[in-house]
Amino acid sequence: MSDLEIQAGLGRSPRTGAPQSPRAPRIRRFGVAEVLAGLFALFLVTAALFPALVAPGDPLGIDPLSAFQTPSPAHWFGTDESGRDIYTRVSHGTGSSLLIGTLATVIGLGLGLVLGTLAGMLGPVVDFTVNRFLEVLFAFPGLLLALLFILIFGPGVATATIAVGLATAPGYARIIRGQLLSVRSSAFVEAATVLGRSPVQILMRHILPNTLAPLFVLGTLGIGQAIVWASALSYLGLGSAPPAAEWGAMLSAGRTYIGSAWWMSFFPGLFIVLTAVSATALGRGIERRVRRA
Amino acid sequence: MHTSGYTHRTARTLTGLVGLAATGILLTGCATAESPEATRPLTGGTLTYASGDAEPTCLDPHVGGNYPQALVSTQYLESLVSRNADGEIIPWLADSWTESADGLAWDFTLAAGVSFTDGTPLDAAAVQANIAHIQDPETASSTGYLALGKVTGTDAVSTNVVRLTLSEPDSALLESLSQPWLAIESPTALARSQDENCASPVGTGPFQVEKWVQQESITLVRNEKYNSPPADAAHTGPAYLDSIVWRFIPDSASRYAALQSGDADVIDNAQPDTIVQAEKSDTIVHLDAPRPGASNRIELNSGRAPFNDPLVREAFIRSANVDDAVTSLFRGTAERSYSALSSVEPLAVSGPDLFAYDPEAASDLLDSAGWTERDSNGYRVKDGERLTVDFPVSTNQSIPAEQSLFEQIQATAKKTGFEVLLSPMDLSSWYTALGENDYDAVSAPYTKVGPDVLRILFHSDGITPAPSGYFANHAQVNDPAIDALLTQAGQVTDADERAALYADAQSQVLAGFYILPLFDQQNHYLLGTDVVGARALPTVSTPTFYDAWLK
Repeated sequence: MSDLEIQAGLGRSPRTGAPQSPRAPRIRRFGVAEVLAGLFALFLVTAALFPALVAPGDPLGIDPLSAFQTPSPAHWFGTDESGRDIYTRVSHGTGSSLLIGTLATVIGLGLGLVLGTLAGMLGPVVDFTVNRFLEVLFAFPGLLLALLFILIFGPGVATATIAVGLATAPGYARIIRGQLLSVRSSAFVEAATVLGRSPVQILMRHILPNTLAPLFVLGTLGIGQAIVWASALSYLGLGSAPPAAEWGAMLSAGRTYIGSAWWMSFFPGLFIVLTAVSATALGRGIERRVRRA
Repeated sequence: MHTSGYTHRTARTLTGLVGLAATGILLTGCATAESPEATRPLTGGTLTYASGDAEPTCLDPHVGGNYPQALVSTQYLESLVSRNADGEIIPWLADSWTESADGLAWDFTLAAGVSFTDGTPLDAAAVQANIAHIQDPETASSTGYLALGKVTGTDAVSTNVVRLTLSEPDSALLESLSQPWLAIESPTALARSQDENCASPVGTGPFQVEKWVQQESITLVRNEKYNSPPADAAHTGPAYLDSIVWRFIPDSASRYAALQSGDADVIDNAQPDTIVQAEKSDTIVHLDAPRPGASNRIELNSGRAPFNDPLVREAFIRSANVDDAVTSLFRGTAERSYSALSSVEPLAVSGPDLFAYDPEAASDLLDSAGWTERDSNGYRVKDGERLTVDFPVSTNQSIPAEQSLFEQIQATAKKTGFEVLLSPMDLSSWYTALGENDYDAVSAPYTKVGPDVLRILFHSDGITPAPSGYFANHAQVNDPAIDALLTQAGQVTDADERAALYADAQSQVLAGFYILPLFDQQNHYLLGTDVVGARALPTVSTPTFYDAWLK
């Protein structure tokens, strides 16, 4: 936390107050959006690792006689139909949402890396085959691909995670392939080839390191999307089962009472949106910096 | 969707509502009225009905036989007899009936001049064909099949008199025959393939099936030659509505929104919060129709561990705080039940003391049953096994408020050391789980006219699946004493004797802790105020739109 705040503080330091300075864009390292996104991300990580720190209550603890309470100092986000505290549930739900989002992105990136490397490195025949395969996958909207996977392997948290990972893989594969091709035709790879390095050495020493940096940016951007998709699957009843504190499942449960208890679906929805937005803002920030460097 | 040009006839509508009240139909929320003479129903228009129940896979309720089928088939199929609001059996397709002195033969005289919508006349042979169809294992009937368990044969005494012969007296025969699952269909239509008959069953009802677009809607159009209303209908002759569009909107919030926006005229399975809203509104009317038969309850599978131990069953029941859950979730739209039977059944026996929330007693019971240890999560353990309760939940049959109730029971039972695993699933997966005996607790509605439902649910015969594969004795009660009482109660004709036997059987079921009663199985219909004359049939509370019209 302190690290980010210090850098954010630097961003607002008097030196940046001199707009005419040609160095200003360099010094002003973090915009307001990035700082807010960073703070929210920090809250999420804290909630995910130590949920009791931000919300000491029991996310599954019921209190039937205080059901459907509007947001108040006692219940910041109100209570649901069983009198469970929504703030506690949203906070405790962060862990599973972040875990699903991160794991799904890792799966998607991993698969994308394998497919993209195959296509980019093993010559035109493999490239052609992988590309046609990716085009077939692209023909399905991502969520549909995830649904198809769940249809075959049954609903649940694990299958939902893998399903989202699979659904995002074709996009990553394509970007990685493009990146590989451009790196492969660069002068330093040609130089290495002329020097007689083996293809494996060239791949490991020269090509992959230059491909992985943009991959990190992609991953940060992808986590937000993966969380939205995983929530969507839970919302459809294909991920976490109620009464688990999971954002999508909470959103789905709140839908029933949307006419009389808006807070039941509003706050889980808000967290899904804010998480996706902050992951995107951070991802874009990193992307800009990487490009500049 | 509504007929235009009739919007200013408010006075007529108000008096129409009074006319309905006079026929014994409960419509809440109606306003004051003028003279009943001014009521003149308007012919025409299309009524849109939005159902929250599952879409039937077959529109012929002989096949399988569940509540979604009964809801829609009430519009196009009719039964031999019906029931009035006082619970008395009244004529419908049968004008009159007689029972032989030994109770083993029943003669039904059919109404004259009635034809099915395909032109086939209603006669004794038609009724014979229907009984044979329900009893044919290839039809895969469960509800109708079980209700006709004692019927061994049929005879055509004359063209319009049909005789049913029984293996033993059946005090519930008329109640069974009044149900939509035993409706009489055209024998010509029944002779077609099952797929064809499922898509367009043919009956004598006020409407007929015109078109069924699966996953979307069923279109029903008026039967212009209709002449067979039940004895308690408000008019004779064809229905007033041109047609009914029967839609399926599983999501309760969307269903209510469709009613508010006028996209639907009638919705069923209304959620408690929307009922409370509707009662305050002056544009929506609430029609409350408790279902007969069983109460809404959780059945504990006594056929396998851990609930094969009566102490563990009692512990589970004592550990569940149902009262607070019903109060908070149903907001006064449903009362807590302590009975195996619905509150509309006059013979229902209630045992509030047996079902009081008492976590301390529950803990002691588990201790004496040998579940003395607890694991790190607080769940009880015996011989290295956790005390787990598998609870499959059908999302088609259990409304969200009911699913929340199960979650609350899960939370309170956890304090005593039960791990309740709720698994929401669709209807077909749920049937599969039951068929494979892969459950410890389950909540299944069972609607049947009269206390004979006790025989279906608690007689050991009910552990054997019907031809459809469905078995109704989910608690797997297998007690010769209860069997004997239920068999005898189903045979005696003396009302007092019958009541005493059913009371005894119920007391034994309740005291055996096979079930945890929750609340009455209820139908809550919400209607736009433009719909006049709709009512629920007093048989199994399905809606009928024969007398209904749109203003």
